[in-house]
Amino acid sequence: MSSKESCRNELRTAICQLSDRCLYSAAKWAAEQLVGIEQDPAKFTPSHTRFQLGSSSIRRRFRTNEIASTPTAGVSSVSTPVLEEDEAIDGDFYLLAKSYFDCREYRRAAHVLRDQTGKKAVFLRCYALYLAGEKRKEEEMIELEGPLGKSDAVNHELVYLERELSMLCKNGTVDPFGLYLYGLVLNKKGSENIARTVLVESVNSYPWNWNAWTELQSLCTTIDILNSLNLNYHWMKDFFLANAYQELRMHNESLGKYEYLQGTFSFSNYIQAQIAKAQYSLREFEQVEVIFEELLRNDPYRVEDMDMYSNVLYAKECFSTLSYLAHRVFLTDKYRPESCFIIGNYYSLKGQHEKSVVYFRRALKLNKNYLSAWTLMGHEYVEMKNTPAAVDAYRRAVDINPCDYRAWYGLGQAYEMMGMPYYALHYFRKSVFLQPNDSRLWIAMGQCYETDQLQMLEDAIKCYKRAANCNDTEAIALHQIAKLSKDLKRSEEAAFYYKKDLERMEAEEREGPNLVEALLFLATYYKSQKRFEEAEIYCTRLLDYTGPEKETAKSLLRGMRKAQSGFSSIDIEHLPP
Amino acid sequence: MAAMLKPPGNFSVTPHKVSVCILLQIYAPPAQITLPFPFPFSSVVQHNRLGMFLLALTKSCDDIFEPKLDELITQLREIGGELDHWLSDHLTCRLSSLSSPDDLFNFFSDLRGILAGPDSGVVVDDQIILDSNSNLGVFLRRCILAFNLLSFEGVCHLLTNIGTYCKEALSSCPAYELPHLDDSSNEVEALLVYENMDLENFVFDKVTEETEARKMASERVSFHIHAPKALFGLIEDIEVSAELKFKHREKTGEASSFAHHMKDTLRGIDPNGGIFLRTNWQIQGYLCEQADAIEKHSSSVPLNAFESILRQLQKLAPELHRVHFLRYLNNLYHNDYPASLENLHCYFDYSAGAEGFDFVQPTSSASNGFGRYEIALLCLGMMHFHFGHPKQALEVLTEAVRVSQQQSNDTCLAYTLAAICNLLSAIGISSTTEILGSSYGPVTSIGTSLSIQQQLFVLLRRSLKRADGLKLKRLVASNRLAMAKFDLTHVQRPLLSFGPKASMKLKTCPVNVCKELRLSSHLISEFSTESSIMITDGVFSTAWLKNLQKPMGSLVLSLENASGANSNAFHFCAQPNSIPGSVLQLLGSSYLLRATAWEIYGSAPLARINALVYTTCFGNASSSADVALAYTKLIQHLAVFKGHREAFAALKLVEEKFCSISKSQILLLKLQLLHERALHLGHLKLAQQVCDELGVLASSVTGVDMELKTEASLRHARTLLAANQFGQAAAVAHSLFCMCYKFNLQVENATVLLLLAEIHKKSGNAVLGLPYALASLSFCQSFNLDLLKASATLTLAELWLSLGSNHAERASILVQGALPMILGHGGLELRSRAYIAEAKCYLSNPSFSVFENSEVVLDPLRQATEELEILEYHELAAEAFYLMAMVFDKLGQLEEREEAAASFMKHIKALENPQNEQDPLFNIH
Repeated sequence: MSSKESCRNELRTAICQLSDRCLYSAAKWAAEQLVGIEQDPAKFTPSHTRFQLGSSSIRRRFRTNEIASTPTAGVSSVSTPVLEEDEAIDGDFYLLAKSYFDCREYRRAAHVLRDQTGKKAVFLRCYALYLAGEKRKEEEMIELEGPLGKSDAVNHELVYLERELSMLCKNGTVDPFGLYLYGLVLNKKGSENIARTVLVESVNSYPWNWNAWTELQSLCTTIDILNSLNLNYHWMKDFFLANAYQELRMHNESLGKYEYLQGTFSFSNYIQAQIAKAQYSLREFEQVEVIFEELLRNDPYRVEDMDMYSNVLYAKECFSTLSYLAHRVFLTDKYRPESCFIIGNYYSLKGQHEKSVVYFRRALKLNKNYLSAWTLMGHEYVEMKNTPAAVDAYRRAVDINPCDYRAWYGLGQAYEMMGMPYYALHYFRKSVFLQPNDSRLWIAMGQCYETDQLQMLEDAIKCYKRAANCNDTEAIALHQIAKLSKDLKRSEEAAFYYKKDLERMEAEEREGPNLVEALLFLATYYKSQKRFEEAEIYCTRLLDYTGPEKETAKSLLRGMRKAQSGFSSIDIEHLPP
Repeated sequence: MAAMLKPPGNFSVTPHKVSVCILLQIYAPPAQITLPFPFPFSSVVQHNRLGMFLLALTKSCDDIFEPKLDELITQLREIGGELDHWLSDHLTCRLSSLSSPDDLFNFFSDLRGILAGPDSGVVVDDQIILDSNSNLGVFLRRCILAFNLLSFEGVCHLLTNIGTYCKEALSSCPAYELPHLDDSSNEVEALLVYENMDLENFVFDKVTEETEARKMASERVSFHIHAPKALFGLIEDIEVSAELKFKHREKTGEASSFAHHMKDTLRGIDPNGGIFLRTNWQIQGYLCEQADAIEKHSSSVPLNAFESILRQLQKLAPELHRVHFLRYLNNLYHNDYPASLENLHCYFDYSAGAEGFDFVQPTSSASNGFGRYEIALLCLGMMHFHFGHPKQALEVLTEAVRVSQQQSNDTCLAYTLAAICNLLSAIGISSTTEILGSSYGPVTSIGTSLSIQQQLFVLLRRSLKRADGLKLKRLVASNRLAMAKFDLTHVQRPLLSFGPKASMKLKTCPVNVCKELRLSSHLISEFSTESSIMITDGVFSTAWLKNLQKPMGSLVLSLENASGANSNAFHFCAQPNSIPGSVLQLLGSSYLLRATAWEIYGSAPLARINALVYTTCFGNASSSADVALAYTKLIQHLAVFKGHREAFAALKLVEEKFCSISKSQILLLKLQLLHERALHLGHLKLAQQVCDELGVLASSVTGVDMELKTEASLRHARTLLAANQFGQAAAVAHSLFCMCYKFNLQVENATVLLLLAEIHKKSGNAVLGLPYALASLSFCQSFNLDLLKASATLTLAELWLSLGSNHAERASILVQGALPMILGHGGLELRSRAYIAEAKCYLSNPSFSVFENSEVVLDPLRQATEELEILEYHELAAEAFYLMAMVFDKLGQLEEREEAAASFMKHIKALENPQNEQDPLFNIH
């Protein structure tokens, strides 16, 4: 990685260039990273310290493997972006067009630039046309919405843009921004392979355009595609890879990348949020909560990624914090899908499922492809016992992202609720296939096999064994295996698993009916195996509990004494209770 | 539900409808005109022709496909005669003059002028005014209403659509194009170059993507079934050949209406062709039609082409979930297990089984908010059945029974029971207990002590009763069919000590079966009560429009040279009729079953007639597998009565017809014929080879049906018998008998017993053979298997004959008794055997003298030799010639004797060196 100072310089120039071309979201992203770079202690001003003070504490807390302060220098192919100045005469028209653009009068902007030939002008003209087409498409979608849902609205400018940009490409008079736009158009058209090559070319020659990277990332649906990309080295590539790994559910790799990036961009909110996302996927809720608390302190009006925070608060049942968060985002921006989502989560936690559905619906109206909103709405419908609606919601989530194991799991549960366990198995299979290390999924599948209707106990045991192998925190699996083995009259296996379960319960210092059951079984089992010593130990332990088991234990002990010595009849009553 | 459907918009204004309105305006101009026909027309006839055409157009407006402008113009040419130019010019002029929303407003308000007002009493005689309640009038009013309901945005969209509609037509005819482009040709050329280059890229891209996808798909499959790579190559080859065939058929003009259909479909939804969103009903109707097509012609629907159409539809109308069902069907019939599973689940997740899948109105059950997932289970069960997973199918269907009981969805329950019956009768499982384990189910609840046949019977009765109570006509009919099928092959009381008394009434007698069948065909008169709401008559009108141009294509592929059927007589079935396809299919299968019934009972002519009726009348309506079966029956008939040469010729024809369809039925027939012929020619090596292939078809997986299994081992035993390996043959036959007995296949039992008798007869152990023959006879009697009985009697006679000449009298009586049946219905082989036996009876009778009555012996022998020559059955022919030579020798007719002896020599030699024969027929193999 190049030094912080050079990063800073690169970003500063890039921001100017990006906003000059009206690529505002890319400029925003770059600016966020710019202030995320740790300041030179020699130069910082008091205001900076205040801004960065909060962040450092979290860094100290969670970065155990401190990365060397001087990051290894990779060789960037591109150094500082070069500003090329367009001709002054064109510049006037450009200024007019840009101001039109800023007022969202895209067609007017394009019209002003109709005869301009400078690269910057051409790009802005094409970009404005593209946006105009997109805007018209959105409008048409609503106008034309037939009874069967989506209409066939398309961006009418795409054909023209593609022709224009491909011509520029052939003439070699296209800049990286033009390539980015070309890639965008090609991707919309469905020719993904060409789009990928074009975008790679774009980011190789101008790596600071985060929009191009995200577009490229959306085209990398498998790890093989990602690895086959021919990307030059630049520190922006690390951001890209981290993001791509996350989308490909390689959370640990992604986390590694982000932690490495934090070496330079130690105060970047973006990176913190991304780390939180990865930790959330790894189910490290405590850490996620801490990160988000910090984030909110630094950036109180942030709405992005706050939906995840609300999920964590939901899981931890923090009523008041969640309501506070909901209130805050509501005041910041009411019509953001995330805001509605958070409010929906709050109502769900409160048990007001109808209201929660209303808000999830609103979130979905704002963003039809809001994956987790579909899934959570499915959960709400399950709570409301409206299974068909739940199934529908889950299915939509699955269709948006077929790798969403939660939705598959939800589908399975819904069908199981309806008394169709065999049908549900298909969905459970899908979900465990996608997330084989989650014991909860295996347990759910095991329970499905175990239902009265199916009674496929062999398969249930297999599921529970898998669950037990992947760190079953609630310790259901071991107990179930033991019980099922007992039911199947495989006492040896049953004893093995009861013993394991018992050890575990002892380790975690848990009491309860399961413990008693395990003790009782082990006592009878060892007795029948004529291993009286062990049996006696378990029996005596049983005596500590009240209830019918105590009596059974007593009679067991009595029987054993009798068997051991025909003559002796020591009274059990003499033993201490 | 997450996204509710909007109420279906039934009628929307499209450019095509605007064209029709313009034509209507020409037909009935608002201006007062003194002639009996308005301006452009030169005669009343011409005017009326346009009227008829418009009527058809308005009717077909409810159909899914709307013709493009150039198509409409071509149609106009057919109609308009000398007026065509004027009509089409006027139409295009009017259309292109619509350039602003205001033009459209004016156009539609003008249209109002040609409608008669409510006070139509003041109609002037010589003015043509549309009655507002006539077909055309209603159409016009609907158009006007739909236009008035449009928002301003809607009007704008209509205007752009009209623009594209015209532009397409113009660009398709160069005469219009050239003048427009003359001035700017340079620029256009330059543009074209780029476009072409890009197109190439694009196409290339697509191809590579597709191959990638294919590769992925095949890899995925191989993961599942561990099939060797070579197999995939094979599959691809087959696909290609099927495609070629498809094209070929189109080219030769023999294209079925179906091929037409596909082409239309492709064009209709072509994204570049300017799509106009259809109404809900239209698309639903289209999908229904396609579903029928897939089920009927299964694999002749190209998988990928249809898939891409469906994908497009799905993109356009994501709330139309039936598309998923179609995708499921498409994958199912192309045997793509993972994809069909995926799509099935997807469909039911979205629709909850409530989206018009089942035509019976779901008033009660859909409103309870549960959805109707039991139908999902039913479908899943059928899918597993289709893929040959009986175990899973039974599990799923059991769950379906449970859920539909819970939801008190009796309709689904009845269907599920029927499906279980189907499953049970098709797969060879001796008891359900091992499959179902301990799980509760309707099958196990009946009681495990019953045999599977008894369970099946109980289930059939139950489901029949239920369907009857629910007035599900189609299900009742199909249940009755199943019942008849069951009656055909099973006796309903267990056999006590080899066959019941003759007096006992059995349901297996043909009259009973036919009665059951007739009950099922009442259906056709009653189907209207539950006729589906989906079928619009728009489809028929479109068919009518198409028929305007092309001569009525005969859809029944004729088999004239083979079977002598005259297909021309059956044109009527090519015309659109209003009987739903499913009803026709059921009705057809009743004929097929009838054919089978008569085949079993031994009435060859009746069996043949029924099969013929089926192929000619119901060939279009039924699934290709059924049609193949009917053809199989016809060819078998040919083989038995006309010899193998004719049969093979017919087989070739049929193979061509069914080339693209799964050939298992046809393949089986071919193997059977080859085997038969090889045995006759004494070509034992080939016979064994064919037998092995049959064995592969019937490999011992539980999914294979029992018929195939018995067929395979029966043929195995017969091959061994022909090779004179009596011990082994007897062993095979014996184990086969055990299997048949275990699975209660009683009809097959009779056949196997007869085979055992034959084996003992050939091995010279006639005494041992007698009880088998008698047992077979009693079986035949109890099942009314008349022809088989006759052949058993013949065998019995032969057995007696081989016991010595003192039994000749008895044998003679037996043969005489069986002769009427054999001569009336028997095939060539059976008849010649009977003739030979008859002659032998005479010859071995000590009281018979050749010199007195030589013709009594010679006549049957001559007949036998003639028929055996046709059959090329060397062994029997040699025997007949030998007997003839002996008789001639006795009579002292030396010349004839030498002739007969030479023929004997020829056959014996042929039998001994079968390899010498260069037979073209074997090359088929």
